[in-house]
Amino acid sequence: MTTTPQTASTVSAPSIAAVPAIPRIVTKPATIIQRRRNQRVGLIISYIILVIAVIFAVYPVYFALLVAVRPNGQLLTNNLIEQFLPVTGISLNSFTTMIANTKDHTFLPWLGNSLFVAASTAFASVILCTSAAFALSRIKFTGRNAVLILFLAIQSFPALLALAPITILLTQIGLYKSLVGLILAYSAGSLVFSTWNLKGYFDTIPVEIEEAALIDGCNTLQSFFQVLLPLSLPAVALTAFFGFLAGWGEYVLASAIIPAPTSLQTLPVALHDLSISRSVPWGLFAAGSTMVAIPTMLAFLWMQRNLQSGLTAGGVKG
Amino acid sequence: MTTARGWRKWSIILICLMPTIIGITIVNLIPMGYNFRISFTDTDRGIHNGQYNKSLDQMNTVDDVGLQNYQKLFSQLVSSDALIAFAKLIITLLPFVIAFVVTQRMIRTQLMRPSTWQYWLAAIAAAFVLWFVLNDADGFNLLAQNDFFVVLLRSVLYVIICMPFFLLVGFVLALILNNPLIRFKVVWRTLLIIPWAVPTYITALIWQFFFRDAGTINQIFQSLGLEDPQHPISWYNSPLLAFGAIVIVNVWMSYPFFMTIILTAMQSIPADMYEAAEVDGASWWVRTTQITIPMLRPPVIPAVVLSSISTFQMFNTVYLITSGGPTGGVGKPGATDLVMTYAYKQVFQQQNQVLPGIYGQMGAFATIIFVILLIATLISLRVTNVTKSAYD
Repeated sequence: MTTTPQTASTVSAPSIAAVPAIPRIVTKPATIIQRRRNQRVGLIISYIILVIAVIFAVYPVYFALLVAVRPNGQLLTNNLIEQFLPVTGISLNSFTTMIANTKDHTFLPWLGNSLFVAASTAFASVILCTSAAFALSRIKFTGRNAVLILFLAIQSFPALLALAPITILLTQIGLYKSLVGLILAYSAGSLVFSTWNLKGYFDTIPVEIEEAALIDGCNTLQSFFQVLLPLSLPAVALTAFFGFLAGWGEYVLASAIIPAPTSLQTLPVALHDLSISRSVPWGLFAAGSTMVAIPTMLAFLWMQRNLQSGLTAGGVKG
Repeated sequence: MTTARGWRKWSIILICLMPTIIGITIVNLIPMGYNFRISFTDTDRGIHNGQYNKSLDQMNTVDDVGLQNYQKLFSQLVSSDALIAFAKLIITLLPFVIAFVVTQRMIRTQLMRPSTWQYWLAAIAAAFVLWFVLNDADGFNLLAQNDFFVVLLRSVLYVIICMPFFLLVGFVLALILNNPLIRFKVVWRTLLIIPWAVPTYITALIWQFFFRDAGTINQIFQSLGLEDPQHPISWYNSPLLAFGAIVIVNVWMSYPFFMTIILTAMQSIPADMYEAAEVDGASWWVRTTQITIPMLRPPVIPAVVLSSISTFQMFNTVYLITSGGPTGGVGKPGATDLVMTYAYKQVFQQQNQVLPGIYGQMGAFATIIFVILLIATLISLRVTNVTKSAYD
């Protein structure tokens, strides 16, 4: 008895259209050896790209270092090698001249001014942003969304165009040409981004923790300081860091608010004035720049881990 | 969550928000109001400087000129020819809008995201054809007579050109650094973040030296034989090269930001998606384009929007490197003048002191730029859904 031939199955693939059909591009290596060779080629290309990128990234800073250690402090050279290697020798002349206080360039007062402004901005920024973010994140009040959007909207007015009014305003208050006025301007400037970031971070901390603390007998203030703040330390550190950066590296506002007396200027304004003065002491400028850049770099690298976790809070979860 | 109710709740809110609100009022609100106020007057520098010591009531030599400043800003932009030119430009941009609407509908009604590049290619082709058919070039030249329009468009062009480079460099470097077979990752990452870590005013001045006639870049070219010492490539005297210079420097300064965000996002993509794809026979290229790039969309889009808004307003780098580029004369924008450098030069340059009513005009300019930035920020809020979570 002949068997009836099986009819071809009418159900081939699942007919759900949702199965993503990854196109079959036939490049898969057939053997393990081929795959390993492809991987090695990919690795070599990756390393080459990395080296080129690092040279591209680091060379300007390295160049400043080169000029800073040159004995004659010259910027322009005709020798190509000198652009890359310290051929004429390494000397700390520029550094020592820069630090020694002459009447033209008083580096240490500038450094002190910038440090004071930056640290105060960081401190003020932390206080302002944490309290504002706490209110915006933890307390439901009717105007909450409006306040959030208002902050963002007001921040879109560029500070550059507000230079003249801010200066006039500070003059009215009596804070023109004073570091405190600068601190005020910087703190208010870095408010919005930090508050948004901090609020997002607070939102990711479950409210139940604070409610547990409240049940255990804390009042609101204690629950804030002893429960919420320690848990959100990365984001708070990030706020302080951005406040510090705002005070340390900002040029335009500083040049408008404290233009003249050389001893009161902050580092960006002072270095820029140095670079446009009549006979530019490039070696000194490079030495000053290096001394300014290195702490910033170190602070940045130290904050790197916190940067990743603090910035993407509220972004990609999981 | 606080359990306070009623006046206690509001007193807590007030205490928490009051310092912030005071700060914002002083530094943002009052300058905005002041700008808006003087945009209706013809204040200029002499009167302005005198007020550093006097009170604000003594603006008696300043007259109200109504909407005249705004009219000057938009001069020639509201004639009938200019309006026709605008209409032609908008018609030329219509294919993109149509493509956008059609692709959005396709994406929403189909379960798997379809490939949409054909539609965009068709839109580009259609816009190209429309450009020549409608003779847009003449209209564009007519509009380009107006300073405000030119500066605005150039800033938008700057953002549009810079952004793909940021994303490309950041993505390639993040891809490499994500590879588990790469060693000494901490060293590479540390070195690659340096452009972000060094203050911008220092690096801008260093790059300014590089691009000079006797600077490092020309020296390298000369030693490689690509140019001769008698005719060095003058980066600062050619509009195109100056624009390229500020694009390059901006890419150098901004790619670490994108690299960090993309790397962090890549590390949070679950590994089993890749394994499933590999089991299905997907090659490396397919895995990257079909898994990595779509999964990167949520964090990258907010970063792109934020970066666009801040690149549009960029002042430090551009001013320190080209000061607005090869200039066309007093009061006219230079070849690399972006919005902020144009405003700064109009207000603070010496020769503009003889131009009457300049502060009033810049007040009008500032108000308009603020409105544009405000609209952009509000649009960005919608795009990024910042008030909701990312996985909604």
